[in-house]
Parts: sequence; C-alpha cells; structure tokens
Amino acid sequence: MRRGELRAILIEAATTAWRPRSPSGELRPHPAWSDLDPAGRLEAYEAARALRRLEAARDPEGLTSTARAVLARLRAGR
Amino acid sequence: MTVDQVRLPDLDEHLPRILAGEFEAFGSWMAGAESRLRDSLRSFAIRVDVEGVVQETALRIWQTAPRFVADGRENGLLRLAIRVARNLAVSELRRYRVEPMEIDALDREAQAYDPTGSGVPHVPDLLLARRIKDCLDHLPRQPGRAIAARVGSGGTEPDEALAEGLGMRKNTFLQNVTRARKLVADCLAMHGIDLAVELS
Repeated sequence: MRRGELRAILIEAATTAWRPRSPSGELRPHPAWSDLDPAGRLEAYEAARALRRLEAARDPEGLTSTARAVLARLRAGR
Repeated sequence: MTVDQVRLPDLDEHLPRILAGEFEAFGSWMAGAESRLRDSLRSFAIRVDVEGVVQETALRIWQTAPRFVADGRENGLLRLAIRVARNLAVSELRRYRVEPMEIDALDREAQAYDPTGSGVPHVPDLLLARRIKDCLDHLPRQPGRAIAARVGSGGTEPDEALAEGLGMRKNTFLQNVTRARKLVADCLAMHGIDLAVELS
C-alpha cells in the first residue's frame, strides 16, 4: 500500500465514533488517530465534523453516531 | 431567511426532562450541542483525540446536570459543557506531557470560541438535512452500505466488525466511507450547497 493510501485509511479510521476503552472504562484515543501526524489529525477532525453532519441528517432523531454512542453508554450505566 | 431566524436555539429548554432522567431529552440536547462542542475543541485537534473528549464531556454533563445552576442566560448547559470539554482536553495534554506554553496557547485559542457565533448555517438546517438525506439515498450501493453501517452501529462497534458484517475488508470499508463523504459533498455542490462552508 502506498503511503498516501495508508494515510487516507488512517484518517478515515479515526473518524468513527467507536473508541477503545481502558480496563477502568475510560475512552482511549483511536489507534489510527495515534498513528497520524498533526496535519493528518486535523484532517481527521474535519472529516469527522463532515461525517457527523451526514449522520445527523440520516438519523430520524437528528443524532450522530457520537450521540448514539453516549446514549448507549448511559443506558448501559457506563 | 435571516440569521436571527436560524440562530442557536436555547438548548436549556430540555433541562427539566434531562433532570427527570429522560435519555431522549438528553439526546435532543446533544443533537443541538454536539457540533458546537466539537467546534470548540478545534485548537486541540492536533494533540488530543477530540471524539473521545466530546463523548466523555457529554457523559459528565449528564452526571452533573442535577447540580447545574442556570445564570439566566441562554444555553447555560452548553456553555458549561464547553468549559468541561476544554478542561478535559487540557488534562489530556498534561498527561501527554505537552509543553505548558503550548497548552496555554491551545487553551487560549479554545477560550476564544463563541458557541452562539458559530454553527449558524448559511442554508436553513431543515433544507440542508433534506438535501443531505437525498444525496445519501442516491449513493452507489457500497458507499451507501458503509455509511449506513457506521450510522446503524451508533459508535458501539469497531470498523473491523462493521466491515466483516458487510463482507468487506476493513480497508475497502474505509475507502467506501471516504467515497460516500466525497460523493455527498459533490451531490450537495450540484444543489449549490458547499458543505465545507456550512460547517465553517
């Protein structure tokens, strides 16, 4: 895989709302985010902003995957 | 439509139901607050994984909402959330042992954020949402499936699992998400809407 392709994959991977958790339940940075350079992290941030807008438009209650993830944790008692 | 007509509504209207423990009301608050919260953290994005901070902030706001005291101004809970988010981001920077001068600079930039002066759409929200939905509905099959899987999972499953569920390799899945994002932006542009401008 070429370097540019790998970078694009890492950026897209970091846009998910899913995050790994520590043994105590705290959210940890996404591994793909950790592998990105500062410019890539900024691109991932902007890509996530755009994606969340699309998600909210598609969701019947206007919620993004971020909001859904939070609500899922609240319902599960964190 | 004037800017006044599309200004940020007072999200504190959801407070009574949030205090009553209604998750749906908190979802409604998040639907209005999340983009502002995320925008407020932009200066930290090169050093902190903003997604995690946004989620952790929302969890803390739910927990602290019963102790929230309104100051008489609109969107008090959102302003509190922005402060909590900034503090969490600064804590992360300290944990990563970032230079104090850099932390101060990033924090100053974040403090300059005005939640009432941002996120005001150039195209009314309802129209934009309808256009986006139309564009999503007309995506080619594979990018459409990838986006649908991300939305459907609600951030509870890693991409590996979503890709497997669609019979795709993880990299193919991610390329389809990227393609979906670009195709929707192109589709909106054909309707005279610049998604980048709407998010600015």
